[in-house]
Amino acid sequence: MVSEADYLERIKKTIIAGEAQAAPLATKEAIDAGVDPLTILNEGLMAGADVVGRRFQTGEFFLPELMLTGRALKAAMGVLEPKLKIVYANDPSTQADTGIVVIATVKTDIHDIGKNIVAAMLTASGFEVHDLGVDVPIKSIIAIAQEVGADIIGCSALLTTSMPFMRDLIDLLGAMGERQRFIVMVGGASVTPEFAERIGADGTAPNAVQAVQLARTLIHKARQGQGTDG
Amino acid sequence: MIFNYQDILDRALNGPYIKEEDWDLQKVAVTTAKLVQTHKLAWDPEEIVTNDPGLADAIFEAGLELAKEVGAYSRSTERIIEFSPRELEDGLERMLQTLVMGEGKDARTLFPRKVMDKRPPLVWAGNPGAPHPEELFLPSVMSWMQEPIVDMVTCGALIDVDGREVRTGDPIEIISARRELQYMRQALRRVGRPGMGMLAAQSSVSELGDLAVAHPDYLRPCDSHLVPMLNELKMDNRNIARAVNSLEYGMRNASLPCVIVGGLGGDAPGCAVVNVASFILSNLTCLADYHLCHPIHMRHIATSTRSVMWVQSIVEQAFARNAPCIIVSDIYPKSGAMTRELLYETAANAIAITVSGGHLEGCGSADGNAPNGTGLEARFMGEVGHAVTRQELSLKEANGLILRLLERYEDVFDRPEGNKGVRFDRAYDLRTLRPKPEWERMYDEVRQDVRKLGLEALA
Repeated sequence: MVSEADYLERIKKTIIAGEAQAAPLATKEAIDAGVDPLTILNEGLMAGADVVGRRFQTGEFFLPELMLTGRALKAAMGVLEPKLKIVYANDPSTQADTGIVVIATVKTDIHDIGKNIVAAMLTASGFEVHDLGVDVPIKSIIAIAQEVGADIIGCSALLTTSMPFMRDLIDLLGAMGERQRFIVMVGGASVTPEFAERIGADGTAPNAVQAVQLARTLIHKARQGQGTDG
Repeated sequence: MIFNYQDILDRALNGPYIKEEDWDLQKVAVTTAKLVQTHKLAWDPEEIVTNDPGLADAIFEAGLELAKEVGAYSRSTERIIEFSPRELEDGLERMLQTLVMGEGKDARTLFPRKVMDKRPPLVWAGNPGAPHPEELFLPSVMSWMQEPIVDMVTCGALIDVDGREVRTGDPIEIISARRELQYMRQALRRVGRPGMGMLAAQSSVSELGDLAVAHPDYLRPCDSHLVPMLNELKMDNRNIARAVNSLEYGMRNASLPCVIVGGLGGDAPGCAVVNVASFILSNLTCLADYHLCHPIHMRHIATSTRSVMWVQSIVEQAFARNAPCIIVSDIYPKSGAMTRELLYETAANAIAITVSGGHLEGCGSADGNAPNGTGLEARFMGEVGHAVTRQELSLKEANGLILRLLERYEDVFDRPEGNKGVRFDRAYDLRTLRPKPEWERMYDEVRQDVRKLGLEALA
């Protein structure tokens, strides 16, 4: 007899090992066995992702492990998501502080490692991440964010001379009357909290782990705000 | 066989298609991990300068295998640029053994250095790419150009010109790159070294500036410019354009693969393998005349971390033993001007590079992320490098000394706010272009201390 703990442990292991084929299978087995979808999410998938995040922070894991976990998590979420939607529809308070993120390295900048790490960590933390790549025009970032109903737009720039395009994006959102619709996070080696504040971004974080925490906090605040308003 | 650069362009257009994510994971990460395992490559954080010729040879062998197995990737066309083993070996055989930088009495000749070479490294001063407001640019570069120990120079990037913000890809990049070169040439004349060789065109990230300064009034054929490889083992049309731009004009190409320690290659040994492969591939994709060795630490950025110094050292040893070529290694300390840690980081980094077979370039103080660099640490970098060769330091002695130096600065990597120090104009007197007394005092104290720690030849 396979216990619930066994199912969850198997899911966790596939996530830690970054097994993109095994993770959705293990998730489906748990669903079929009647394990609660929220338990699968929190104690299986997220628990595995947390281990990977910690090992990455301590230097035990490196970028490939993080990317593989991101892939495995994405595949597993494909199986779990329809079940979660039903749970969230019945009780919105159960919805985790995650959401949809559109992330890109802005126009003219081709550096992507930092952005990739943040994207992988966000994915590994349960966010739906649309990674648009590098050198992405700000109009395209906004258009995709509108199209997929993003909660967060994440902009990255390593180059000092590409950072002004982040300001342009925020200004354009304002001009379009869309600024309040999106949380805008900015990041990159030269991006400081002062810069983020100056250009009107909602926040920045010095590393990927803190970027995930910030994303959760901002989403939580935004949803609370919506609840109060509503 | 490759007859001209158009062969590379053809391959970038017609090579096998692969998605970039699959290139990263399936080609680079998986192949590197496999090679690290089959060659049993490992590193010891207490042995930053390794006295293990077998390990250096294995790193070289694994890097060559990686280059042969995966090739390079064109991000612009999403195609693999494939090379035959013979072509890569031919590229290795054709690596330059002498390269004259600059002209006239200020010219210097770069050469491949050996492990524990008794010849001093050439000293290439400056903080390549560090953002500079226009008003600071000229005095900053003059602060290191005037140092007698300096052989060649480089510079930061202008972030504004005539009060206008410089933006990548905008027409103003043309103006900023030309302005940078105007300042550089003017500064060289003012310090009485007009023929000194430069690595420049740093104020334009796109190819625009590179194109704009390929003229004898700006960047001369006896100077060099960067032709970067992207992380990892990638090119794109912008950087290919830089290589093409130098074809007829003839300026020197510096390959720059900034391999990330903790990135796709994994830990330090995998990163070293990727770095070796990058140099081998860049002989052909970047038309490299010399190689810049600048690994980056995934979290700390700085080259003065243990793992990055290990990578620089082992890559230099690997090439010195197996395929001698000109390697200039960057020093990008975490700390900035007016901090003792900047000088200790510089010393550790310069010792590791010099004893392992590299020339010196730096310092990109404060991670090269602020105009917080000065001529004083460039002077110190050169003095330490020269002292290492005068003292004929062995690899083992160098390692012991570096471990002692790490005790003086390693805590900076745990400081959440870093250790940025101060801007150039707070560390130097702008009228006299001399270090302020406090900065000079720190330099004297650290120099004494480094001498006491074991580098007695430091004058």
